[in-house]
Amino acid sequence: MTPGPAPTAPAAPPPSAPGSAPPAGERAAEPAGGGVGDSPPRPDGTLKVTGEFAYSSDLWAENMLWGMTLRSPHPHARIVRVDTAPALRLPGVHAVLTHEDVPGEPRYGLEVRDQPVLAAETVRYRGEPVAVVAADHPETARRALERIVVDYEVLEPVCDARRAAFDPDCPLVHPPGSVPLRPEHNPRGNVLRHQPIRTGDLARGRTVADLRERADVVVTGSYEVGMQDQACLGPESGLAVPAEDGGVDLYVATQWLHADQRQIAPCLGLPPELVRVTLAGVGGAFGAREDLSMQVHACLLALRTGRPVKIVYNREESFYGHVHRHPAHLRFEHGAAADGRLLYAALEIVLDGGAYASTTPAVVGVAASLGLGPYEIPHAAVDAYGVYTTNPPCGAMRGFGAVQACFGYESQMDRLAEALDMDPVEVRLRNAVGRGSVLPTGQRIDAPLPMAEMLERARALPMPPPPEAAPGRVDPLALPGGAGGAGVGASVVRGVGYGVGLKNLCFSEGFDDHSTARVRLEVVGGVPVALVHTAAAEVGQGLVTLQEQIARTELGVRRVALHPADTSVGSAGSSSASRQSHMTGGAVKAACEAVRARVVALARARGLLAGEGGGAVGGADGGVRLAADCLVPPGGAAPVPLAEVLGDAVVEETREFRHRPTSPLDPVTGQGSSHAQLGMCVHRAVVDVDVELGLVRVVALDAVQEVGRALHPRQLVGQIHGGATQGLGLALMEEVQVADGVIRNPSFTDYLIPTVLDVPPMRVEVLEHADPQAPYGLRGAGEPPTLSATPAVVAAVRAATGRPLTRVPLRPEDIALP
Amino acid sequence: MRVEFTVNGHAVAADDVWPGESLLFVLRERLGLPGSKNACEQGECGSCTVYLDDVTVCACLVAAGQAAGRRVRTVEGLAAQPARAGAGAAGADGGVGEAGGIGADGRAGGAAVAAGPGSALGARGDTAAGGAAGADTGQRDPDAERLSPVQRAFLEEGAVQCGFCTPGLLVQAHDLVARTVGAGGPVPGDAHIREALAGNLCRCTGYQAIVAAVRRAAEREHARLAGQERP
Amino acid sequence: MNPFDYRRAEDAAGAAAMVADNPAAAFLGGGTNLVDHMKLGVAAPEVLVDITHLPMDEVEALPEGGVRIGANVRNSDLAAHPLIRRRYPVLSQALLSGASGQLRNLATTAGNLLQRTRCVYFQDTSTPCNKREPGTGCSALEGYQRYHAILGASPDCVAVHPSDMAVALTALDAQVVVQDAATERRVPIARLHRLPGEAPEHDTVLNHGDLITAVELPDMPMAVHARYRKVRDRASFAFALVSVAAAMSLGADGSVSDVRIALGGVAHKPWRALRAEEALRDGPATEERFAAAARAELAEARPLPGNTFKVALARSAITATLRQVHAEARGGDGHGGPGGHGEEQR
Repeated sequence: MTPGPAPTAPAAPPPSAPGSAPPAGERAAEPAGGGVGDSPPRPDGTLKVTGEFAYSSDLWAENMLWGMTLRSPHPHARIVRVDTAPALRLPGVHAVLTHEDVPGEPRYGLEVRDQPVLAAETVRYRGEPVAVVAADHPETARRALERIVVDYEVLEPVCDARRAAFDPDCPLVHPPGSVPLRPEHNPRGNVLRHQPIRTGDLARGRTVADLRERADVVVTGSYEVGMQDQACLGPESGLAVPAEDGGVDLYVATQWLHADQRQIAPCLGLPPELVRVTLAGVGGAFGAREDLSMQVHACLLALRTGRPVKIVYNREESFYGHVHRHPAHLRFEHGAAADGRLLYAALEIVLDGGAYASTTPAVVGVAASLGLGPYEIPHAAVDAYGVYTTNPPCGAMRGFGAVQACFGYESQMDRLAEALDMDPVEVRLRNAVGRGSVLPTGQRIDAPLPMAEMLERARALPMPPPPEAAPGRVDPLALPGGAGGAGVGASVVRGVGYGVGLKNLCFSEGFDDHSTARVRLEVVGGVPVALVHTAAAEVGQGLVTLQEQIARTELGVRRVALHPADTSVGSAGSSSASRQSHMTGGAVKAACEAVRARVVALARARGLLAGEGGGAVGGADGGVRLAADCLVPPGGAAPVPLAEVLGDAVVEETREFRHRPTSPLDPVTGQGSSHAQLGMCVHRAVVDVDVELGLVRVVALDAVQEVGRALHPRQLVGQIHGGATQGLGLALMEEVQVADGVIRNPSFTDYLIPTVLDVPPMRVEVLEHADPQAPYGLRGAGEPPTLSATPAVVAAVRAATGRPLTRVPLRPEDIALP
Repeated sequence: MRVEFTVNGHAVAADDVWPGESLLFVLRERLGLPGSKNACEQGECGSCTVYLDDVTVCACLVAAGQAAGRRVRTVEGLAAQPARAGAGAAGADGGVGEAGGIGADGRAGGAAVAAGPGSALGARGDTAAGGAAGADTGQRDPDAERLSPVQRAFLEEGAVQCGFCTPGLLVQAHDLVARTVGAGGPVPGDAHIREALAGNLCRCTGYQAIVAAVRRAAEREHARLAGQERP
Repeated sequence: MNPFDYRRAEDAAGAAAMVADNPAAAFLGGGTNLVDHMKLGVAAPEVLVDITHLPMDEVEALPEGGVRIGANVRNSDLAAHPLIRRRYPVLSQALLSGASGQLRNLATTAGNLLQRTRCVYFQDTSTPCNKREPGTGCSALEGYQRYHAILGASPDCVAVHPSDMAVALTALDAQVVVQDAATERRVPIARLHRLPGEAPEHDTVLNHGDLITAVELPDMPMAVHARYRKVRDRASFAFALVSVAAAMSLGADGSVSDVRIALGGVAHKPWRALRAEEALRDGPATEERFAAAARAELAEARPLPGNTFKVALARSAITATLRQVHAEARGGDGHGGPGGHGEEQR
């Protein structure tokens, strides 16, 4: 892509490498008219710019009450006594509920049912919900919380993840056997999953010491990744409305409606069909909404009071009310030959899962399987651990275990380059994976993955102009430190760094990953209209646009309507793991194809299509096509308007889409083809560093990403920009500060995310080597840039300062001071 | 207490306001104008940016009483009238579509759920909630005609993803355009745009499309004004 | 947030009297700090006396050469004011380096001076804090200390004053005009804010009911070359780890004839660096002497375990800022025009 603006204009399609174009048959429509490959406007765009789009925190219902949550002030404590009576006496208070009021299952969990709806005997993190109230005004609810009496007996917190993993004397966060961990995850003590991988000689009884002797150069490093927050701007919120049938309707911002339903219903003691969940407007997600937050609480209060109940977290509560990215401790060792070829790697990865499991087991699986990154290394030993502590629970965030590993392996590649006195890109090229390479899990890469080409393209991107030569006329905003006036002149040094990230796309390790779409075609007001219904969560990424594009392309209609996402259709799976374009996109495509086949059959039955026609409808290969609201027969016959074909008929089809099966990882050797698809992004960062004051200004953060096929080029580039910016944030400023189990910066004053002044213009070059396994050849794009941006920025700062910089986020004192 | 002020050109009054309520709460929960957003409620994110008289402020940090007698303009007031929200705010025609439909197409109706409270300012039943992206999504949006230049440019540049920061950014960008090209000045440079937007956090876009959108809106407004000046 | 009564005062003396008469009353200016604190439960006034409509919103040249800034002048207007940009650009820079455009549009001059610390424990009502609740203890002594004091702290409080503007005003020798129910008086800015000592609940020397009506800047030719530099974790909208406001004038021989240095982010008050000034005055303007002056100022620093880095960072920031203002004073090979740029004139 050329500098600056997104590749939106049809005149400037994303460059494709020669021979990389998808099969012609996959191009069912011209990249125009709002179909696949075009960049039509978002269907929710106008509502969003006029302020009319209803986010979950905007909802309102007649007679509505406000719910609020009492949270533990201690990271670890036994609950001695709870007295709700003083709160109940407050006028305007309609309900005060504790764990005793949970009618069904007392616990829920995305992967492990270990998290109490409301704490019963023990609280395991500061901020754990203990009671909930419903009142007629949020201020009344807040005062009611103050009147709930809870006596705690404070217990020793478990704050150190490495201690939790390796110290047999460390107190246990959960009593042995009290949570249903899976034996194949090797649980032990506070460790809820340990995933080893052994390959090559390290799987055949040789030790790391043996290999160390065979290497010409060995680099070791200990790295740390701080706890990052998703920092979605929309707070956790939703509205639960009791229904006459004894059930409840929940309108909520979530990433996965059916996973919410599956967890909520048992806690309420209701069958799933009585817990109807509808997606409300989602103000960003990034993993933070994959777990439940206020869902069960709002439903409990609504069912108890018989009135609609709305819960909206404030920002501080939001920091306590959702999971974060796992902080990580990494110990990496790599050995290589003098020519730069990697010989072996030994990795230890410890991920702090906090008090409850959330998605920690899956995060461990990703960190382990991708811990070596996109490099061919014949002998490897990986040990990844996810542990319970009494820190805030950690789970999904964009990049999902691969972010932490990527900071480690890319830092090691730079160290190796330094040790060998070799160019950092060259070291990466010598060891780059590609199609046919084998991951340490034994999985063979069977789709195009042109890493070497991507690196070369990143290296060839034009460099930004050098730092201002004449300091007299420097624009202060162009210097490190921004308008604060810090970062001047001679103390500013430029650095350049690279990062490569390898990310699994879609769910891995044998999960039955699928999505469902129902598509209906009918004539409304004389015009054919396709209605697409899925349960897929639009979280900002633009999936609603893609669903419409696919329907336009596959059905040849101009008008497409989207049904609200809800649980009255089958699961779409989660809007995470960069999977929805692939999975729900695939489901919509499949449902459209089924509708199309029926339309053709209908045309034939009605005598509108002569002969038997071609078998391959939709393709450009002589079959019947649907285009421009018409059915186009083969052989140049006159198009028949779809309105005529359909008449009063309503053609509706529902399809489930699955990606190819994946395998679990062997609990001892870590072998298994665990991933459905891989994505890759290469970043080159250019920074100016005030080496005296430790201030960094990112001058450029340019990306080359392999996307398979750009379904919506403008939205795609937006994903890469946004993903890279979150990686920049992790590199330079973002960390949830946890001291003794307590979050010390639960606000946007103190938890800093990049502002517009911290982010440079970002050039994006998109490669489209189709993945034959995926619909249209596409690959999800949201996560890979979040991986690669962080190490690229840090590498650039290292280049400018010569400092080792082993912990992110970097702070001024790490950069500037002895 | 009772607080009277004007919103988007219409005189409004909110009754039973707790003196501790913020202007943001009054707009969102009492006046049926939830366009201004509640991302941090501490003045740190800019998502609740509104005009108070002639300057942009964070509505979450304005005590409701301080708005008395003042002019407030929210994101709902940026588009040319009759904006749906503006019509709602005026309470003029009450023509706000089928009440209670959470889906724009009415298929998922059932609960009487709407964005913002029903109030003196009119029910807001036409507002699509959540995943309901709007029923007819034919590409040419009839609403687009009435949008202000910054609103149009945000859509054209892909500056809207989740959209939660969008209302605040639009008001702030609207102010920048008004103070620069709107006041006869040149199109602001990127550094100027970035400085003006530094109080608005966005978590989705990386800001690049937002800066481009503001630039585009300013250029378009500049061209329009230049055209007017020609004899 | 607790319920409270909202009133508007008729004039400055009346406002002062309304607050003085009620221990639970407070002035309401822009509200950016107070409204936030009321939401957090940090402040719970029973009566709010709104003073924003009082006629204290002018920036005017004083006959003897200084400038008078009304207490209600908004931070954005002050930063953009031609008199300030031309004669006291350090004040514009400091203002523009703080908060955001929207907050500067609300925040007033007096409110900025009187904003309270951003110490995370002060803002967290579930933790002990001597400043918020005298006698409960200081949580920061054993806690998160990155943004805390290295100079002038006490065992009772290690919080820092958060204002950028006040640091510039301190370097400019500003006078604060204070009205009580009966009389008007002037307090030098360096004496307005207190060190915590045993009474950290008092940020300033003002009495309950004292109303700041204006800030006066003296005529100070060297202020034209003064600069504000701020070290922080993000390029905008973040509080200072360390900030420096400095001005310098040079004699005919190039030696330092006069100098002003103030520091932010290091103490319970904007920190006038008198030792550094003393070490520099009437001597050659060399890099070695800049560094020596910085060392002299920080010789008494007593960092906490979690912020030892700030001593060295403050030294570097002082040295770098002195180097810059020296270059400016010599004839401007420093950077930029006054007040940064990009701020639209209002």
